[in-house]
Amino acid sequence: MGPIIEVRNLSKRYRLGQLATVQPTLRETLTRGLKYPFDRLSSRKPSEPKILWALQNISFEIQPGEAVGIIGRNGAGKSTLLKVLSRIIKPTTGEVDIYGSVGSLLEIGTGFHPDLTGRENIFLNGAIIGMRREEIRNKFDEIVAFSELEEFLDTPIKYYSSGMHLRLAFAVAAHFEPEILILDEVLAVGDATFQQKCLAKMKDVSSKGRTIFFVSHDLTSIERMCRRVFLIDAGRLKDDGLPSRVIAGYLKTLAVAV
Amino acid sequence: MIEEQTQAPGATVPASATVDHSHSRDLSVEPMIKIRPGKARVRSSLSEVWTHRELLYFLVWRDLKVRYKQTVLGAAWVILQPLLMAIIFTVFLSKLVRVPSDGVPYPLFAYAGLLPWMFFSNAVAISSSGLLANSYMITKVYFPRIIIPMALVGVRLIDFLTASSMLVLMMLYYRIEVGRSLLVLPLFFLLTTVLTLGFGVWFSVLNVKYRDVGSLLPLLLQVWMFASPIIYPSNLVPGQWRLIYSLNPLAGLIEGFRASLFNLPFDWTSIGISAAVIVVLFIYFVQAFCRIEEDIVDII
Repeated sequence: MGPIIEVRNLSKRYRLGQLATVQPTLRETLTRGLKYPFDRLSSRKPSEPKILWALQNISFEIQPGEAVGIIGRNGAGKSTLLKVLSRIIKPTTGEVDIYGSVGSLLEIGTGFHPDLTGRENIFLNGAIIGMRREEIRNKFDEIVAFSELEEFLDTPIKYYSSGMHLRLAFAVAAHFEPEILILDEVLAVGDATFQQKCLAKMKDVSSKGRTIFFVSHDLTSIERMCRRVFLIDAGRLKDDGLPSRVIAGYLKTLAVAV
Repeated sequence: MIEEQTQAPGATVPASATVDHSHSRDLSVEPMIKIRPGKARVRSSLSEVWTHRELLYFLVWRDLKVRYKQTVLGAAWVILQPLLMAIIFTVFLSKLVRVPSDGVPYPLFAYAGLLPWMFFSNAVAISSSGLLANSYMITKVYFPRIIIPMALVGVRLIDFLTASSMLVLMMLYYRIEVGRSLLVLPLFFLLTTVLTLGFGVWFSVLNVKYRDVGSLLPLLLQVWMFASPIIYPSNLVPGQWRLIYSLNPLAGLIEGFRASLFNLPFDWTSIGISAAVIVVLFIYFVQAFCRIEEDIVDII
């Protein structure tokens, strides 16, 4: 039995100009084209854009059923890694092989439309995150029960409170069962009871043998959820191992920085 | 799909990937997903569209549902819009300027030209801002991006077919006798859809790269309308300009629509040129989309 995810020398480069400024307008592209011959004559090289490596030479393997937590400071590259694994952005170099279906929840309730009812949004959001229509139909009653919104199913969600909105979004997300689940700070929202419910659901999912990739700043839940933790710093995979050890090491670097 | 649930969860693996991967698993097992740098291949993108066909369905369904809920007249607008335009052109062009209409009653002539035109122009206009308007989805979920313009064109195609019911009523009212040329009509529906999809796909991605497109497009569409035989017959165009005129793929299409509906003679040269232009453009546009697709999220 081999790993379910293999990542080899993964890197992602951004040109800083691209990040910092808006897109070149048509005028800029045209003027650049016109200026080009003159730039060559004057032997002045066009200014090199600054480069940022959001990810650098990351390699790892994940076994089926592992729950992996990813920690690191803001801007370390955690979300970039999740986006590459989710196929939202392409890597600059490196390869990823995935032996199973991938579903990502970088936020919950993606694509909810305010004018549609709760019922309609369950189908819409389910389809957007990658559930089959058949699957949504089969789990529909469970999703509704989980959300505790039976009475409001046929109300447009623009009339929902933000708590109801959240419950509906999480109810769909919780019934999404790809073989590999990628989560980004999904628990950062909601009150304590809500977070408990979410954590319990995730524990349940991982105990069913599904592979989970989980980014969070909440080190306690990482420690409870995961058997393996990655520490990412400045785009590099700095540490990989048991949660207690990796988290302790991370806290030490934070203390030094302060 | 492979079942690999027997592995104990949490089994540790050396993080430094110095393992010889070529022997680490049975070579016959291909990864389900391969992520590689570089451009997407057109063929693999199209097969991805097929796997995501339910999402395409739901996006079309969403737009139709939302429009039906937001407007009082709902679907009636789809018919009213071209109908009101046909009436306006009848008053100004037919009654005042006396534009000829190939022996067909002018309101019918104009409506038959306006239907494919409004499908084309509405769909291209809405697609051009489609990727930007749906950026909240594009940056959070993976799916083949081409589905966005496809869904937007799909919604307009349904409008087009709905509004065609009014055309049938008008033809009954004016007692138009249809002939065997009606059998060719599906060809023109198909070509118009391919043309519209091509431009919709192209402008959607162009607008991400150059926001100017959003400002330029309404003007371009305005000029394009007058350069197509929508509210006048193409035989008003002087002979020496005819060839250049028929390079506009809409010229052959709209004349073809009318010829097939009203049993008029087909201008196969012009239709042939249109079809060839449409196929070439479509291939180019889809390739252009795939070329830029990977950068969309980075620049949106």
